Amino acid sequence: MVIADPPLMDSSAPELAGTPPPPAPAERSVVAQIEHLDFFYGTTQALKDVTLDLESRKVTAFIGPSGCGKSTLLRCLNRMNDLIEGARVAGGTVRIHGTNIYDRTVDVIEVRKRVGMVFQKSNPFPKSIYENITYGLRLHGRRDKSRLDAIVEQALRGAALWDEVKDRLHQSGLGLSGGQQQRLCIARAIAVEPEIILMDEPCSALDPVATAKIEELIQELRARFTIVIVTHNMQQAARVSDRTAFFYLGSLVEYADTRDIFTNPAKPQTEAYVSGRFG
Amino acid sequence: MIPPTVAAPPRFTVSRRRLRLLGLTADDGIRWFFGGNALIAVIVLTLITLFLFREGAGFFGQNRSNLEIYRRAGLEYVDFIRAQTDDHTALTRYLSDLRVRWMTWLLEQERHSLEEANARLEDFDRFADRFAGAVDPLRELMSGLADHASGIKAKYQLTQDRRVEQAQLAAAGRTAEAAGIEISAIDFERELEPLRESLPTYRQLSRDLAGELTALLAEAPAPPTPALRQRMDRFAELTREYVAGFPAVEHRLETWDSAQPVPAHRAFTSFLFGRQWLTASSWQDWYGIVPLFVGSLLVAALALLLAVPLGVGAAIYVSQLASSREQRLIKPCIEFISAIPSVVLGFFGIVILGETLRQLSQVSWLSWLPGFPYSERLNILTAGSLLALVAVPTIFTLAEDALNNVPRGFKEASLALGASQLQTVLKIIVPASLSGIVSAVLLGFGRVIGETMIVLLCAGNRIEIPDFTRGVAVVTEPVHTMTGIIAQEMGEVVRDSIHYRALFMVGLVLFLLALVINYAAQKIMRRYRLSTG
Repeated sequence: MVIADPPLMDSSAPELAGTPPPPAPAERSVVAQIEHLDFFYGTTQALKDVTLDLESRKVTAFIGPSGCGKSTLLRCLNRMNDLIEGARVAGGTVRIHGTNIYDRTVDVIEVRKRVGMVFQKSNPFPKSIYENITYGLRLHGRRDKSRLDAIVEQALRGAALWDEVKDRLHQSGLGLSGGQQQRLCIARAIAVEPEIILMDEPCSALDPVATAKIEELIQELRARFTIVIVTHNMQQAARVSDRTAFFYLGSLVEYADTRDIFTNPAKPQTEAYVSGRFG
Repeated sequence: MIPPTVAAPPRFTVSRRRLRLLGLTADDGIRWFFGGNALIAVIVLTLITLFLFREGAGFFGQNRSNLEIYRRAGLEYVDFIRAQTDDHTALTRYLSDLRVRWMTWLLEQERHSLEEANARLEDFDRFADRFAGAVDPLRELMSGLADHASGIKAKYQLTQDRRVEQAQLAAAGRTAEAAGIEISAIDFERELEPLRESLPTYRQLSRDLAGELTALLAEAPAPPTPALRQRMDRFAELTREYVAGFPAVEHRLETWDSAQPVPAHRAFTSFLFGRQWLTASSWQDWYGIVPLFVGSLLVAALALLLAVPLGVGAAIYVSQLASSREQRLIKPCIEFISAIPSVVLGFFGIVILGETLRQLSQVSWLSWLPGFPYSERLNILTAGSLLALVAVPTIFTLAEDALNNVPRGFKEASLALGASQLQTVLKIIVPASLSGIVSAVLLGFGRVIGETMIVLLCAGNRIEIPDFTRGVAVVTEPVHTMTGIIAQEMGEVVRDSIHYRALFMVGLVLFLLALVINYAAQKIMRRYRLSTG
C-alpha cells in the first residue's frame, strides 16, 4: 500500500477539536486522519485497515468498483453509518483536527455540523427554498431574520443558484430541476459553514450539462472547503480532484495526487481500473 | 459459431389448439373470475345504498302523517299548554335547588341542627308550596284536554286499522266481509270542540296564574347571604320572564288551526333537528336524531382525543426512534388490540373500567376534576376510553405507514445538517407525513363512529341531549348513540312501521357520514402522495 504523503500527523495533532490545525508545510495541511480503520456491517467487513489523510482545501476523490467501501468510508467521516443497524467501527480511528470522532465523549451532532454532506439523490426538504437553506441554521439557534437573509443569499451564490431562484425563494424546493435541486442541497450544506463537505456521487443522477455545472461549482468551493467526493466516473475524478484514493474490496489500494493515479499509477490494480480494464 | 444448416425462421401461427369451455379459454376464465370478484364488491355497495335509501325513504311520508295526526287530533294544542306547565315545573325545581343551598348554609355555616334549620326555612317552604301549587288548576285543565286529545287520536288509529283490515280482505277477495266492516269517518272539527271551548277557561286560569305568581314574588322571603340572594333575584327574574311569555301562549292557542296542513319539510326537519327520540309513547312519538347524533359525536370525540396522541405517538416512536427489537414487540401488540372482539371490550368496560373510573371519581383529592364525583358507571367517559382502544390500532397502523413513506433522504439530509433525531422527527418527518397522519385520524374517527357493541354496552343508553352547560363535565353523562339505537331497537320494531323506517334513516345518516369521512381521508392521502412525489 502506497501512501504518497509520508505521515506528519502524529507529531502535531492537537487533542481538542476546535484548536487550529497543526502548523504544517504550507500546501499540505491535514484536516482529517483515518488510521487503521476496520468497519463492519454485521459480520461483513466493509473496510479493512484503511489509513488515509485528508488535506485542507483540496478535493479528494474516492474511486473504485461498486462495493469497494468508498461510500462507507465517506459516511464514516460524519458518522452517518450510525443510522444503519449493525454497522460498527471495529478498530482504528477517524480523527478530525486530532479528535477521534468515534470517541465516546464526542457529540455526533457537533461532528455533523462541521462535516456537511451532499447525497447521491438530491433530497431537498418539502419546504421552500429559503427554509431549506435556513433549516440547519435555525437548528443551531440562529433566528435573526436579516442575518438569515444574508446567509441565504451567500449560500445560494456560493452554490451558483442565486440568479436562478432569487425571485422564488419562498416556493417549494421540490419544484426545481434535478441539477438545481442538487445545487440547492449543496447550498444547504455550505450555509452552516462546515469544514469538510462530503459528496456521495453527487452527479450520478444528473444530465451532462447539470454535471458540468456541479463540477464547476466544486472547483469554486475548494477555495473555502475541504471536499471529499465519491464517484464512479473516472473522468470526473480526474477533472475535479487534487488527490485520488483507489479502493478495492474494502482496502485502500493507492492514494496519491490525481495526476499520478491517472498517468503513472504505482499499483497494477490501479492501472487496470483507471484504464477501464476492470470494474 | 454458425449452425451447420440455417433453419427457416419460425412462423407466428397458432400451433396449438387451446382448450375452450363455453367459448372461453382458460386465460379468459381467470380474467372473468377476478373481474367478477371486483364487480361483486361494486354491486354489493350499490345494493346496500339502494336498500338503505328504499327502506329509509318511506320515513318522511310516514313521519309527515305522524305529525299531521298530532295536529289534527289536538295533541299539538295540548302541548302548548303542557310546555307552559313544564316551564313552571322547571322554576319549582330551581326553588328546591335554592332550598338545598340554603339548608347547607344553615347546617354547615350556622351550625344549626336539622330541626332548627327546617324551622328557619318554614317561611320559605310555605312560599315554595304556594308557588308550586299555583299551577295546579292549569295543569288539571291540561290533563283533561290531554285525555280528550288522546281519545281522538285513538279513535283515528282505530279507523285506520279498520281501513287496513278492509283493504286486506278486499285484496283477498272476501268482498262481503270487507263491506261488513264499519268505518265511521272522524269529524275532527266536531271532536275538537271541547278543546276550543276550553279557551276562555284557559284564559282565566292563565291570568290567575300570572297574577298569583306576581303577587307571590312580592312576598318572597329574603335569603340571608349575598350568594343566595343573588339566586333569589335570578329566580324572580326568571319567573317574570315566564309570566311575560303567557300572552304568546295564549296567542298561539287562539290562532291554532287543526286543519292547516303540516308543511312537507317538517317531516325532514323534525328528524334532522328534532331534539327528542321518543318511541312507543302513549302520547306522541318523536324521531329526532339530534340526541343520538350528539351522543355518537361526543363519544367519538372523546375517543379520538385519547387515541390520537396515543396512536400517533406510538407510530412516531415505532417508525422513527425504536430499535428493531422494540418494533418487533410493539407493533404486534398494538395491532393485536384490534383482534379483541368489541363485545369483550364492552364487557370489560362495564365490569372493570366503568366501575374503576367511578370509584376513582369518588376519591376526594380528585374532586377538582370537572364532573367528579359522579355516580353513573356507564357514560361518555367509559365508552370513549374504550373506543379509544379501538381507534388506536387503526390510527397507529396508518400513521406508521405514512411516516415510513417519508423518503429516507429527508431524514439523512436533516441528520447530516446536525439535527438531532428528535428535531428531525418533529421538523421534517412529521410535517412531511402530516396529511397521511390526518387521514389516519379521519379513518380512526370513521372506525369509532361506526363502532356499536362498546357504545351499546358502555355509553349508558339515555336518549337525551347531554347538558352542555356543565362544560367538560358533560363527559360524565350517559348518552345513546346512532349505532346503539339501531342495534337495540331494530329487533323489536314492526316491519315497515314508522319506527322501523326511522331506524333506517339513522343508518343512512351513519352511512353517509362514513362515506364523507372516507372520501375526505382519501382526498387528503392523495394530495400527500403528490406533495412528496
